[in-house]
Amino acid sequence: MTMVRALLLVFALSLMAAPAHAQRRDDLATGITEEEVAVTSDYQGARLTVFGVHWQRGRAKSDVVVLLRGPGERELVRRKRRILGLWINADPVRFSEAPSFYALASTRPIGTFLSASTIANLGLDPGALARLEGSTPADSDPAAYRRALVRLKKANGLYRESPTGLRLEDDGAFKAPFIIPANAPVGAYTVDVFLFRNGRLVQRKPGEIVISRIGIEKTIHTAAHTWPLLYGFSMVLFALAAGYAAAFAFRRR
Amino acid sequence: MSLYLPIAEMSVNALLIIMISGGIGFLSGMVGVGGGFILTPALIFMGIPPSVAVATQASQITASSFSGVIAHARRRGLDLRMGMLLSMGGVVGSTFGVWIFAVMKALGQLDLLITIFYVFFLGVIGALMLWESVAALRRRAKGGPPARRRRKRGWAHRLPLRMRFPQSGLYISVIPPLGIGLLTGVLAAIMGVGGGFIAVPAMIYLLRMPTSVVVGTALFSIIIITALVTVLQSAQTQTVDLVLAVLLILGGVVGAQLGARFGARLKAEELRIILGVIVFATALRLLWDLVAQPSELYVLGR
Repeated sequence: MTMVRALLLVFALSLMAAPAHAQRRDDLATGITEEEVAVTSDYQGARLTVFGVHWQRGRAKSDVVVLLRGPGERELVRRKRRILGLWINADPVRFSEAPSFYALASTRPIGTFLSASTIANLGLDPGALARLEGSTPADSDPAAYRRALVRLKKANGLYRESPTGLRLEDDGAFKAPFIIPANAPVGAYTVDVFLFRNGRLVQRKPGEIVISRIGIEKTIHTAAHTWPLLYGFSMVLFALAAGYAAAFAFRRR
Repeated sequence: MSLYLPIAEMSVNALLIIMISGGIGFLSGMVGVGGGFILTPALIFMGIPPSVAVATQASQITASSFSGVIAHARRRGLDLRMGMLLSMGGVVGSTFGVWIFAVMKALGQLDLLITIFYVFFLGVIGALMLWESVAALRRRAKGGPPARRRRKRGWAHRLPLRMRFPQSGLYISVIPPLGIGLLTGVLAAIMGVGGGFIAVPAMIYLLRMPTSVVVGTALFSIIIITALVTVLQSAQTQTVDLVLAVLLILGGVVGAQLGARFGARLKAEELRIILGVIVFATALRLLWDLVAQPSELYVLGR
């Protein structure tokens, strides 16, 4: 964390040196400790911190919310139904544009200073972001599927909320630590920092981080999807070679 | 030591996987059966997607079977003609099996298919293993001679399209070997197993092959079948994980070799009971997951 502190300091100093007109226009300045995350063979997920400073204006109560969002993807939610005594996946419902990853950090629980419509409009509710695709099966409740989507993603560690995880210092600096687990997909993630005053949005700063496979992980993944047949044959050759090596190493003398 | 699996897209403890595959390989090497039907459920319990576990397991079996067949070939314990016939059936069976696998995956019912296959086959095999070992122990306690099978001509000898198998000393129809290969292929594709637990008893009791050539011949066909399954799964479902395969092969092949060496000095019946209990318990656990009221009614899938 000392590195984050040092970064914060440098950052704050550089802002002070910035021209005066910039200060007047901006109430918020932000940064991310890691903008590129590499998925290597020892990848266990990523830790990153979104930090920044905001300028206090008057006595208004300020709140900062940071939203880290993975690429949107299609999700399929099925409900189990008992058929012939067995619990079987049935009644599929498809969502488009569900965030693959979603993490929210705020100074206070957002429900305490934002209205439900503001939360939905700003995309601060992962369930509201997922769009229902097509129709839901008869006698089923779309809202129950939406809740299930959020619940299951939370159970996988892909939806995270930290309602008080963002510390606002007296001098206006703040930082929000995030953990992206290894099972989160690769791709471009958006980082949005929102500044609210008395529950009203004052400023929104967008940012981006990119998670990408590199090295052997990238080679294997690309090979498996680009040349699947060749990949399969090499897999077999490797298996035969390993088997032969073992037989040779363990042969009875 | 944690390692990221590029196809399963998750981070696993590499040492744990090597230890589990090594332990199961050791046990199976001692008893003389493939360990696929315990290792695949173990991987699934560890949180690896069933599709990846099944497809990747096939390549591990190719490796361990190849290391086993070399020794058998040296001792001439291999009926090549019979092995080719089994493999021909296996090619059809595994192609069909991988197709079913892909269809069920698209329908979101792959987990169900795999679980039902496992519950059925593990249940039957576990029960048979326990039954046979207990009977053998009883016989030994009584001190009587081991039970003798009457060698008579079965229906495999009466069907048409007969062929001579000099290595096995048989003159039988080609239909039963093709059928056994077919079933083995389907099981390899859907369960991620070699299918030796079906093929070996069928070859002994149905085809009445001499036991000296059964294992080598079964291993030969298993290599062909699992190699094909690996290629087909790679091409069709892209679920073969190279990194996971390396871990499984490392643990499984070494474990099986050590187990085979160690097992020669041990009594097989006690081991068979242990293995039977493990197999039967796995079947019960999987069955429970199917019939018990789930705490979460909804599931995610693509």
